[in-house]
Amino acid sequence: MVWWRIAWRNLWRNRRRTLITASALAVGFFGAVLMVALDDGISAELLDNGTGVLTGQVQLHARGWMPERSLYATIDGDAGIDVGALLARLRAVPGVAAAAPRVWAGGLLSAGHQTEGAVLMGADMSLEPGVSRILGTLVAGRAPRAGARELAIGSELARKLRVAAGAEVVVVAPAADGSTGNDVYRVSGVFRTGLDQLDGSYAVAPLGALQSLLALAPGRVHEVAVRLPDPWAAPAVARAIAAALTDAGHAAAGGPLDVTVEPWASFNPEVAEYLQLITASNGLVVGIVFLFAIFGVANTSLMGAYERRREFAVVRALGVGPAGVARTVVYEGLALGVLALAAGIAVTAPVLVAWHHTPLNLGWLIGNLELAGALVRPVLRVQYSLHGPVMGATGLLVTAVLAALYPAVRAARVPPADALAGR
Amino acid sequence: MVGPVGTARRARPRAAAGAVLLAAVLAAARPAPAQTAREIVDRVDRMLRGASSRADVVMEIATEHWTRSLEMRVWSLGTAYALIRVVAPPREAGSATLKAGDEVWNYLPRVDRTIKVPPSLMMGSWMGSHFTNDDLVKESRVIDDYDIAIGFEGERQGVAVWEFVLTPKPTAAVVWGRVVQQVRKADLMPTWARYYDERGTLIRTMTFGDYRRFGSRLVPAVMTVRPEDKPDESTTVRYRDLEFDVRLSPAFFSLRSLQERR
Repeated sequence: MVWWRIAWRNLWRNRRRTLITASALAVGFFGAVLMVALDDGISAELLDNGTGVLTGQVQLHARGWMPERSLYATIDGDAGIDVGALLARLRAVPGVAAAAPRVWAGGLLSAGHQTEGAVLMGADMSLEPGVSRILGTLVAGRAPRAGARELAIGSELARKLRVAAGAEVVVVAPAADGSTGNDVYRVSGVFRTGLDQLDGSYAVAPLGALQSLLALAPGRVHEVAVRLPDPWAAPAVARAIAAALTDAGHAAAGGPLDVTVEPWASFNPEVAEYLQLITASNGLVVGIVFLFAIFGVANTSLMGAYERRREFAVVRALGVGPAGVARTVVYEGLALGVLALAAGIAVTAPVLVAWHHTPLNLGWLIGNLELAGALVRPVLRVQYSLHGPVMGATGLLVTAVLAALYPAVRAARVPPADALAGR
Repeated sequence: MVGPVGTARRARPRAAAGAVLLAAVLAAARPAPAQTAREIVDRVDRMLRGASSRADVVMEIATEHWTRSLEMRVWSLGTAYALIRVVAPPREAGSATLKAGDEVWNYLPRVDRTIKVPPSLMMGSWMGSHFTNDDLVKESRVIDDYDIAIGFEGERQGVAVWEFVLTPKPTAAVVWGRVVQQVRKADLMPTWARYYDERGTLIRTMTFGDYRRFGSRLVPAVMTVRPEDKPDESTTVRYRDLEFDVRLSPAFFSLRSLQERR
């Protein structure tokens, strides 16, 4: 304890120098935490848009659905399933906020002389908004009404077909009984998600209407998309869902299902890879920030030790071993680190809070970006997280201690007699 | 992406036309020995196609999930025109496909609309069969689109045959990497055709059989397509009646006649 006291006292021997050094570390902490928080903001935005617009964070399919996406690969086989009961079982899994069933098909949309291939999505009009935002991006008209032969189509698809909300289009798709399903639908609305693929080729129809076009029984769905409040929990929740659905104990509730349950990283690998890249770059950024700081700190620490040569010599002459001397210098570095950390937190926290609540919108400078298949608004916002401050604090303290090591060794090696003799 | 596989109503007639053409291609040789491969194939083609034709056809489609049978009437004129109208079953009756040059149109009686098959869907299935829309358009162009060489000449199981290797010309918009067709020397009847992709993988096999005379011409009355990746699935086209050199004018192959429910 006495060594701590000595270290602390030594710290204030040259107050200005200590404050400047501590400031350097605090600014390093500030920069590191802020950059990580900004990266986290971008990650959150990317993830939110990558999974929130359409896919959801977890998806359930019949085994064998991927990669062909066969019309026949409905959940629980050709007989279909009690969709309501399945959704209830999903919602009972902790961490699940909402679930919505979907039917998918490839088909043609035709209006006048224009005909375009389209991806047809049948969605439950009351449940879908709980999972995805695609129907919330309507720029004209309204969402299709459940039960009606209506479609919401992407803005680019509407442009190619030369139709607006209210127009009639013919929908043609191969049906599950081998016939060619065809019917006249009304375009109830046009959506613009900002994602080229969706806007250019997707059409959303009420689940029942599309099922009847495709000659699929009402219990036959290809996909259940699940929304989680915390996207990062997706792998764990996916496992929990899989366990809940295949658990023999639930046999009474419908029996084990032969399904695949995938988190977004599986069906949205671009986003996952991009996020990994960002995470990896975080470590690099923090490393670089403190690499700069370490030399400044080492310099002052070395000077401080050098000034005290005589003092160390006296201490050594009084019987303290070299390790004791080294220890006090390291303690001094650590104390400096703690001081800097306190200052850093005091400066960083309010900025982080303020920025979090008023994101910096660069929309006037650059438009929306499409990154890794996800829409990213040019809004610089910061995200709270534990790992940013933890990385920053760790970096700061490690820097402070590392910077003190060399001076500590030098101090320990002071030859008492020579130093006292002024040699 | 959900690949839009099934296109609108694919007209059966094309397949029939395709079959005729292929058969023609394969059947061509009444062989004068000095003929080139190209001449033989061209001759088979002409023989099986005729200047024009009218046919009653039954198409049976078997897939993993369903089987169905469609009766169709097919008209063709040269290589440019074909009209296929579904006659039965009642649910599908009236559906029709028109091929005019490179374009394929489908008529949907249920909604009373005509839809042009977009280029992106030419490789889609025609009427749920194992034929593609592209088959309807392209089968007529064997001579134009392919360089033709004799890959084998001799006996296979006691029958003298040629095997022609068809390689797409660099400029041809052809999806296959290579097509191999076997033709019997004696009567120029095609026996099979194998379609390979650009990597040399066999994609589908077409077999011909039940050679019989319609009028004065010998043709294979049955043609079966089998996809390699789904060996249990197939589409079989069978001629019930076939008449060559019927009187037809290009005006017959119009969007208006496409929509007539006859």
